[in-house]
Amino acid sequence: MKIPAMPRLFAKKTPTLAGKKSFWQTLMKQKVLLFMSLPFVIHVIIFKYIPIWGWVLAFQNYWPGKSIFDQIWVGFDNFKWLFRDPVFYQVLRNTLAMSIIQLAFGMVSSIILALIINEVRLVFFKKTAQTISYLPHFISWVVAANLIRDALSTDGGIVNEILLKLHIIKEPIMFLGIPQLFWWIIGASHVWKEVGWGAIIYLAAIASVDPNLYEAATIDGAGRLRRIWHVTLPSIQPIIVILLVMNMGYLLSSGFEQQYLLQNGRVIDYARVFTIYELDYGIKMMRYSFATAVGIFRSVVSLVLVFGANYVAKLLGQERLL
Amino acid sequence: MLLLLMVLTVTAASVMVSAQKTKTFTVFLSEPLPDYPGSTIVGDIIEKETGVKLQREYLVGDLETKVGLMIASGELPDMLTAAHFTSLFKDAGMLIPLNDLVEKHAPNIKRLYAKHWEQLKQEDGNVYWLPIQAIPYDTDDSHYPELGFFINKKVLKEAGWPKIKTLDEYFELIENYMKKHPRINGERTIGYVTLFDSWRSFATTNVPQHLLGYPNEGEFVPVLEAGKFVVRQYHTSNAAKAYYQKLNEMYNKGVVDKETFVLNYDQYIEKLSSGRVLGTFNQYWQVQEAQQILLRDDPESIFIPFPVVLDETIEEYQRDVPYIQATQGLAITTACKDPVGAIKFLDYLIREETQHLVQWGIKGQHYEVDENGHFYRTEEQLKLFRDPDWVRDVFGGPYFYNSFPNLRGIDKNGNSFMPDRQPHLIYADSHESEKEVMDAYGIKAFTEFYNKPRPRKYYPLWTITIPAGSPAHIEQTRMKDVLNAYVPRMVMSRTRDFEKVWAEYVKAISPLMKEQIKVYQEQIDWRMENW
Repeated sequence: MKIPAMPRLFAKKTPTLAGKKSFWQTLMKQKVLLFMSLPFVIHVIIFKYIPIWGWVLAFQNYWPGKSIFDQIWVGFDNFKWLFRDPVFYQVLRNTLAMSIIQLAFGMVSSIILALIINEVRLVFFKKTAQTISYLPHFISWVVAANLIRDALSTDGGIVNEILLKLHIIKEPIMFLGIPQLFWWIIGASHVWKEVGWGAIIYLAAIASVDPNLYEAATIDGAGRLRRIWHVTLPSIQPIIVILLVMNMGYLLSSGFEQQYLLQNGRVIDYARVFTIYELDYGIKMMRYSFATAVGIFRSVVSLVLVFGANYVAKLLGQERLL
Repeated sequence: MLLLLMVLTVTAASVMVSAQKTKTFTVFLSEPLPDYPGSTIVGDIIEKETGVKLQREYLVGDLETKVGLMIASGELPDMLTAAHFTSLFKDAGMLIPLNDLVEKHAPNIKRLYAKHWEQLKQEDGNVYWLPIQAIPYDTDDSHYPELGFFINKKVLKEAGWPKIKTLDEYFELIENYMKKHPRINGERTIGYVTLFDSWRSFATTNVPQHLLGYPNEGEFVPVLEAGKFVVRQYHTSNAAKAYYQKLNEMYNKGVVDKETFVLNYDQYIEKLSSGRVLGTFNQYWQVQEAQQILLRDDPESIFIPFPVVLDETIEEYQRDVPYIQATQGLAITTACKDPVGAIKFLDYLIREETQHLVQWGIKGQHYEVDENGHFYRTEEQLKLFRDPDWVRDVFGGPYFYNSFPNLRGIDKNGNSFMPDRQPHLIYADSHESEKEVMDAYGIKAFTEFYNKPRPRKYYPLWTITIPAGSPAHIEQTRMKDVLNAYVPRMVMSRTRDFEKVWAEYVKAISPLMKEQIKVYQEQIDWRMENW
């Protein structure tokens, strides 16, 4: 149950020619656009708003097979249980930590990659580099997790082998067995898998930068780095801010497969995120109500985060999402 | 007149339906098989004899999710199996009681399940599902025991075929071999691996009960005290401490694989089948895949099971008391329009003739009978059945057992229902490499290393389902969390820190067992009284 950001973004693209014309006139004028957006609005209503009705589950002791009206009502018991559970705070910490690491490194690396690819003059090399960089995106996490496990293995894993050959370490390190390292492995593997994919949107943004700006900058004596710093980056800044605000909403919901597939008993205290927690302590135990309560908590926090980030962006005079 | 016409039309319609003859039943099966190929040797015969066509849905993805969806949506097939979630359908009132149906229409089911019938009755006195296996007569023996400390054949051969009894002996053999052969096939020798991947981690945490001589009961063991089975925990027992301490010692000596706790199941199988692992504890079905690869590619490195205990004073009874999984099975749902037809079909499936067809095949074509009435297969027939693809897609037997009620054990003529358990053929059908080991120990099957199991009427504890979402269930999850977090720490800590970590572990796990023991004790008492 996430905040549907899509239609808002869509609506933004339709310029609001407010002012003298009446609302109906504007409406008539934009009827094609409205018509085009209709399917998406319906989609969002059906898949995002109607299911919110299911939130009543959180206040019941839901048992499948019975009508929702025949269930036992328990008030806020599920929430009380949640906030009293010591595991919950661990989960909150892990989710936030891993999401922030992924968000920060994911965005920075994608932007840098987009800038670098953009500067490449040789078209063949540019296309090849871009394709290779976003290929891992299409590997499912099940396969990717096994690749990572093998690469980090102490028994002939490539990472350990290289470090050993370079005499950086004496003994192979069991990377996946060190709890404190788990967050960073998640972050690094996320960057590896998503960097190319994430760069696509920035490349698109860079492509729309007015070439005149570059020419003007060149005439003023700006070198490549100067042009990137003073032209490219400021031009794609709105996109960066909007993506950042949008991603804030996913801070508490990101990550399931990746953590689930890479975790092991040794690092469980650092690996369990909300989605895994809901699965282990909710759905697997048929505690659907509890799982719903956790979901509500996440949704509410996400709302706060999105509005918070949006507000900060507004204060800083940046482009906003809402 | 109008009425007459209507009656006529209705009759005509019903005549037309029965003229079609073939009935179709929808069935959901909780095993992941490819879709039924449409026509197989076994399937065609069954379809011709019963006039029943099955519309099968096999499990894709996660069973838990699928069951949740089916219950929540109320969209049910005519029949279903759902492993250990079967009882949830009963709780939701979606299954029909079978007692009367069996009594009236299914003489074979009644006869063949007679021994188990009382165990199947739920609290309301009704039977809602037929367990997938029935053992109507005597039990038979498997090729490999259910569980054991497995050791590489090379180690045994070099040490002169010793019989391994205790944990210390077991690790001593491995350690010595490792010292002499630090590398196998050019790669580092791995002394011992233990499987710790998500739900399969019981392969590591179940061991203390076996070291105390118990068979696989699950998380707790019922101990016979003054004529009554009392549920006890073993996670903080002396055996558990000795076991984790031994693993700790071996870990620090480099015998236990450094990355054993981060391996997933695929990696575990990969390591075992490389032939350079010397030992592992597990239930046989979890290492079977590796063993089959070794038999094909590296038969000198196969794994031989031993019933290892903590010390000589302990008598081992690690083998399963033959049991049926009374808490799960095939059920007929409330959505089934023709329960009589369904039970008649199941009755046909379970009778001995059909079971011989499904498991052995057609006489003279897939098996032969010797002068004593014993079934056997010729070398050519064996070859056919060693190809799992042929057996599944052409023969079709697997589509009628595993998910449908079937018979196990020995039939009236002394034949096993399962070809690979045919008593006098276990040795004869073994691989040359297996035979060499059996000859060296003077046995005819690896199960002979083990004692015969002691009868335990309730057996086993692990088939008891803890009510979903109950305090005991939450406690169980928390206990598993503690095991997950502490077992690797105990094994991987420095030797001088072991005592400290052990004390922490005992403190963490001790308060997390009370509710579960209560539930298990109640159920064990109930079973002892009612089975």
